[in-house]
Amino acid sequence: MKDKSIHWGLPILLVLIALPAVIQDTFFLRVITEAIMWIGLALAFDVLAGYTGYLNFGHGAFFGVGAYTTAILMMQAHWPFALALPMGGVLAGVGALIAGLPTLRLKGAYFAIATWALSRAVQQLALIMDITGGPDGMRLPSFLNPQFFYYLMLAVVAATFALLWYLLECSPFGLKLKAIREDDQGAMALGLNPTKLKMQAFILSAVPTGVLGGVYAYWITFIDPASTLGDLVSDQALVMVVFGGMGTLIGPVIGALLIFAFKTLFWAYLSDFQLLYLIILGAVIALSVVFIPNGLWGTLRGARSQKKTEEKKDEGPAAKLSPSEGE
Amino acid sequence: MELLPQALMDGILLGGIYITIAIAFSLTYGVMHIIDFAVGEWIMFGAFAGYYLNKWTGLDPFLLLPFVFLIFALIGYLIQPVIHRVLSGNKGNPLLMGLVFTFGLAIMFQGIALTVFGFYSNSTPSVFSEGSFFIEKFGFFLTISSIRLAGLIYALAITAALHYLLKKTNFGLGVRALALNRDSAGLMGVNGKQTASLVYGLYVGVSAMTGVLIGCILSVSAQMGTEYTIFAFFVVVLAGMGYLAGVPWAALLLGMVQSIFLIYFNPGHTLLAVFAILYIILLISPRGLFGRGV
Repeated sequence: MKDKSIHWGLPILLVLIALPAVIQDTFFLRVITEAIMWIGLALAFDVLAGYTGYLNFGHGAFFGVGAYTTAILMMQAHWPFALALPMGGVLAGVGALIAGLPTLRLKGAYFAIATWALSRAVQQLALIMDITGGPDGMRLPSFLNPQFFYYLMLAVVAATFALLWYLLECSPFGLKLKAIREDDQGAMALGLNPTKLKMQAFILSAVPTGVLGGVYAYWITFIDPASTLGDLVSDQALVMVVFGGMGTLIGPVIGALLIFAFKTLFWAYLSDFQLLYLIILGAVIALSVVFIPNGLWGTLRGARSQKKTEEKKDEGPAAKLSPSEGE
Repeated sequence: MELLPQALMDGILLGGIYITIAIAFSLTYGVMHIIDFAVGEWIMFGAFAGYYLNKWTGLDPFLLLPFVFLIFALIGYLIQPVIHRVLSGNKGNPLLMGLVFTFGLAIMFQGIALTVFGFYSNSTPSVFSEGSFFIEKFGFFLTISSIRLAGLIYALAITAALHYLLKKTNFGLGVRALALNRDSAGLMGVNGKQTASLVYGLYVGVSAMTGVLIGCILSVSAQMGTEYTIFAFFVVVLAGMGYLAGVPWAALLLGMVQSIFLIYFNPGHTLLAVFAILYIILLISPRGLFGRGV
C-alpha cells in the first residue's frame, strides 16, 4: 500500500523555503524554527518507537550529546561549526552503539527504563565534568542570523524526513523493522538478524537527534544539563509521536505541530502555571493511549481506509478485510 | 577503611527496604506483563501521605502504615482496570501502549505533586528517629540508627508476609499460575481480571507503605519518584527478570552501592554508578546476576 500523502511533501517544502521572505518578524521565525526542530526530534523518536517497537526514553540524552559535542568542539578545540555539527551526529551515533549493545537485548519494557536510566546517568555526567561546565552550562559565540538557522534546521529535518521516508516506507528495511516489532522470533525464523536491525534503527534514530542538538546549541547559544539533557526532550517527543500516530511518518509531524503550538501558547499566556504543563502532558499521553491508541493520523487514516474497503466489499466478495494484528 | 563496615551496615539496612519495592514490582510484572513506570511516584505519594498524616494526627508513621496501605491499595485496585483496558486493546502494540500509559501517569503524578507540595524537601519524624545503637568489636565502631533497624524489620515482615501469601494461599497459587500462563490459568478457574486488580492494589499499597518509611529514613520531596523507579528497575533486572529469589541480593547490593557512594564519593554520582553496574552486568550476563531470569 503506497501512501499518497507524500505528494504533499514538495509543495509544503516550497512554501517553507519561501516563508522567511514573507515573515519579517524574527519572533515568529524563531517559533517556526523550533517547531521544525521538534518535528525532526519526533520523527527520529518514531523510528525506534513506532517502527521497531522499542521506546527510547533516553532520546533527550542523544540530543544533549549532540549539543555538547558541538559546543565543546567549537569552544575548546576551536573547530568551525560546519565540522563540529556532523561530529555531534557521529558521537550521538556512537553513543547509541555503545548504549544499545547491552540494552537492546532487553525486552521492550526493560529497554525503556534502561534508556531512561542512561539519560539520567548522562545528565549527571554533564553535571560533574569540567569540560561541560557542570551545572553552569556552556556559552557559545552568538551568531545572530535567524534566517540561517531557519534554513539549517529545515535542511536537517527535510533531509531526515526524506531519508526516513525512503528507508522506512520504500525500502525493505522498514518492513524488516516492522517484522521485528510484530514478532522478533518469527523475524529470526525468516532469516533476519533482529539485534543487528534494532541496532541500525537505534543509530538511525540517534544521529539526526544529535545533529539537531548541535544546531540547537549554536542557535540558542547557551546549553546546560537541565535544558538539553532533561526529561522534557524525551517526554515531549513521546507525546508528539503517541498523539500524532506511532509507526507512521506523517503522524509525528502532525503531533509535533499541534503539541508545540499548544506549548507555545501555554507558555505565552499561562506561564504562571508552568507546572500544570507537566500534568497536561501526562494526561495527553494517558488519554491518547486509552482513546486513540493509533494516534490522530492513524485514526484518521484507519477510518478512511475502512470506508474504502467497505465500498470495495459492496462491489464483490473478493476484497476482504485483513485480520487485526497482535493479540 | 574504618568507615567500610559502617558503609556496609548502612547498605544492608537501606537495601532491606528496596526488597519490598522490588518484590511488589516484579509481582505486578509477573501478572500483568507490564512495567509500571509510576512505581516511584506511588512511593512519593506514600511518603507524602505519611508526612501529612503524621503532621495532622500526630501519630507515629509506623502506626499509620496499615492505614496508608489500605488507602493506596484501594486506589491501585480502582486504577488497574484502566491499565487492563489499554493492555487488552487490539489496536497497535498493547504492551508498548501499556508502557506509554504508565509513563504518562508518572509524568502526571509528578506534575500534580509539584503543584500541590512544591519543591521543598522534608522528613517525617518518628519515635525511632532519634536513638541509635553503638557496637564496638575488633576495633571497628558501628552505629546503627534505630529508624533504619526498624525499617529493616518492617522489610523482613513484609517480605515474609508476601512469601506466605504467594506460597501458602489459594490466591498466591492463582497469582503464580497467571504469571506462568495467563490463558491456561483462566481455563483452570483463576479469575484473571480480579487477581490482577488485587495484585496491582497490593503492589501500590506496599510501595506507598515503603514510601512512608523512606520519608522517615531519608526525605520526602515531589521529585524523588524517578530515582526510586530506576532503583526498582535496577533491582529487578539485576536479580534476573521474574526470578524472585534473586531480588533480596540485588536489593542489598543496591543499598551497599548507595551507602558507599554516600560515604566515600559524592552522593550525586550514585545514579552514574548504578547505571555503570547495570551496563556491565547486562553485557556479561543479560539474564541477571544469577543467570536465572527470562
